[in-house]
Amino acid sequence: MAKSSRRRARRIDQAPEVAPEPGRPPEPVTDPYEPYVGREWTFAPEPVEGGRASEAALQGLVRQWRRGRATRTLWQVLSDAYIAVLSVVMIGAMATNVVIGSQAKAAACDTAACLNGRMLVPWGMYFALAALAVSLARLVGPVLASSAEGFWLLMAPIGRSPFLATRLWSVIAIAFGASAITMAAIVGVAGEPPAVVAAWTVAAAFSVAGLVAWAAVEQSFERVTALRVVQGVLATCATAVFLLMVAVAGGWISLSPPAALSLVPYGFAVLGLVLLVASSVMARRRLEEFRSARLTSGGSLVAGLQGSMFGLDFGLMRDIVVDRRAIARGHVRPARGRWSGVWALVWRDAQRLARFPQPLLGVAAAALTPYACEAVGLGMLTPWLAAVALMLALVPTLGALRVLSRTKGLARTLPFTTGTIRTALFVIPGVLAFLWALIVAPAFAGVVGGVGRDVAQASMAAVACGAAGLLGAVRWQTAKPVDFGVPMMATAAGALPPTLVLNLVRGFDVATLIVAPVLLNVDPIWSLALAVVVALFLRSGLNTDELTEQAKEQREQLDAERAKRGN
Amino acid sequence: MASRAPVLVATSISKSFGPVPIVSDFSLSVRPGEAVALTGRNGAGKSTILRMLIGAVRPDEGRVEFDGQRLTETSAEVRRGMASVIDDLDFFPDLSVVEHLDLLARAHGVADPEPLVDAVLAEVELVAQSGQLPGTLSSGQRRRLALATAFVRPRRLLVLDEPEQRLDVEGVAWLAARLQAERKEGLAVVFASHDPYLVREVATREVHLGGGTGGPSAETEETIA
Repeated sequence: MAKSSRRRARRIDQAPEVAPEPGRPPEPVTDPYEPYVGREWTFAPEPVEGGRASEAALQGLVRQWRRGRATRTLWQVLSDAYIAVLSVVMIGAMATNVVIGSQAKAAACDTAACLNGRMLVPWGMYFALAALAVSLARLVGPVLASSAEGFWLLMAPIGRSPFLATRLWSVIAIAFGASAITMAAIVGVAGEPPAVVAAWTVAAAFSVAGLVAWAAVEQSFERVTALRVVQGVLATCATAVFLLMVAVAGGWISLSPPAALSLVPYGFAVLGLVLLVASSVMARRRLEEFRSARLTSGGSLVAGLQGSMFGLDFGLMRDIVVDRRAIARGHVRPARGRWSGVWALVWRDAQRLARFPQPLLGVAAAALTPYACEAVGLGMLTPWLAAVALMLALVPTLGALRVLSRTKGLARTLPFTTGTIRTALFVIPGVLAFLWALIVAPAFAGVVGGVGRDVAQASMAAVACGAAGLLGAVRWQTAKPVDFGVPMMATAAGALPPTLVLNLVRGFDVATLIVAPVLLNVDPIWSLALAVVVALFLRSGLNTDELTEQAKEQREQLDAERAKRGN
Repeated sequence: MASRAPVLVATSISKSFGPVPIVSDFSLSVRPGEAVALTGRNGAGKSTILRMLIGAVRPDEGRVEFDGQRLTETSAEVRRGMASVIDDLDFFPDLSVVEHLDLLARAHGVADPEPLVDAVLAEVELVAQSGQLPGTLSSGQRRRLALATAFVRPRRLLVLDEPEQRLDVEGVAWLAARLQAERKEGLAVVFASHDPYLVREVATREVHLGGGTGGPSAETEETIA
């Protein structure tokens, strides 16, 4: 126990006994704090310099409070969560196995086109990871503080640098570690030799960490324009590289890369390191300049995301990000509506997409997926990967469906049934899914190699994958959040609501179910039939309350009829 | 007026949350041109009753009918005739204030919604905010937008839960005048309120909940006008 805690404990122990003598009725206590009047209560942290607490003392006090309120040690938590630990170990082992298996398969990729196409995978991933890092850093800060810290610590007359420095180093370390692991895994799966994997891993780690540190510098100046531009350039580079990869692997373009190109990752690593060092030093020096509002907004965003993450409510996570973006934009030029009835809803959906067209880039990127998968020899998995890529790309286009599903208030203001509303909101994403299917059909016909199908089969497989992606996205957006009010399921990790685990796979379940016949080489018509059934099911919304109400009403009618006959 | 058929009839509705009864054996009939105010202390069951009346919560016992038909929240007929503003109203984060109102008016088949939307926007004093996205509105402005959604569309019954919440004094005065006018035009209104001024100005009948000794939602009814 810390010295100050011992002192407080002693003081509480010294409190006078108030137990009544036997045989005498207890005297009424008028003021429960009376026995403590005049006692000295010292909660001030140590050391106090000239009546002013130091940053280290305040942080130490917070740490002490947190430890004092902990009910279990870290070891106890790990012991209780042994299943989770085992799962992580198992998943790690499986991932390693996948890498080894993929490398064995990739060894069969021995044509010049295939090898050159595969060589571009790390390039694309490098730019994609960098773009993602800048985007996330811009979204959350990257330096952040919780609302409580903003109120209690940042408003206190203390220097902010020591407190924020830990945050800065943590976020840079996370960026470094996460990018290194992701790059190593992806380049490893692509079948590159260990030296290449190591070079790209180091390049990605230094570059991403450097970009995050630079984003922190920009945050201190409250500037976003340069970050936006860099993010756009990196995303464009990533898209261009993936397009090039497909073209090369498909044999449409021949690439004869010079040997010096293999040195580029080392160049990226050096540049990244320079950026990391320079930006880190500058960001560290400017930590006093961070406004608390700018820090806590990121903190509240992360807190919200964490909260929804604990409930595995990915829909809510997305809602938080979408709301934040909308608030950042704040104002739009109002656009005139068109049509009436349910078509007004369709028109607004189209208008919304025109106003925020970023999801179209996602759909375009998803259209590359089957080509890229076929090109790098993942033929069997192509339909599933293509459907999942489309699903993830279509999720942002179903924002209106999400709003009308998460609470009933807004849907109640519209003069349509749930089915009609959902049908209207399927239109725009459905058109996008259909266009996607048209674009990817040649990939399923084997134009870039892989599994070859005739035109009719390839078209049906593409449409089936499009339907799987669309309906997976609908399921993802309309799934109900975890209900913690229902009876819990006993597990080794404690009591869990039954739907918690299902939330992890929502969307993916529907997409997998629909593409299963294509994956199993069964006629794609079965996928289309499954898609129709799933669409009807998702369109209805399956309102259990409504069904119960209908059953109750029918029962009452039956009882009334029986009563009439009885009379 | 009294001879007109009721728009909304609730017969012996009850609701409990777990073992705690919130509403017991509550009945209500509302005719066109009537405005019923539900009053009572916090926890008396006003909001729960309103939620049952619009179908957001299913009563454990009893029955609610809208236009002579058993009420189902997802029915298009119910949604067409009943405008409700309770605390679960959500907004599209990427549509502006005026676009929300325009969408609602068009969805309800209003042929030329622009003049109506402009008039309602002016009434709720959101003209300056017409291009703003809902996330940037203050709580009072969001409340005004929520109320505006009820006035840009055709309606026969208006159900409002504490509509005076977060409105300033002028806002409450406007709301009272507006609801009074709606009632006089033959609209049926049911609202819960803690504001005696609003109740006095708008209600033709006041149902005070929790006033008696008969347990939850024991009500006393008073005809005002």
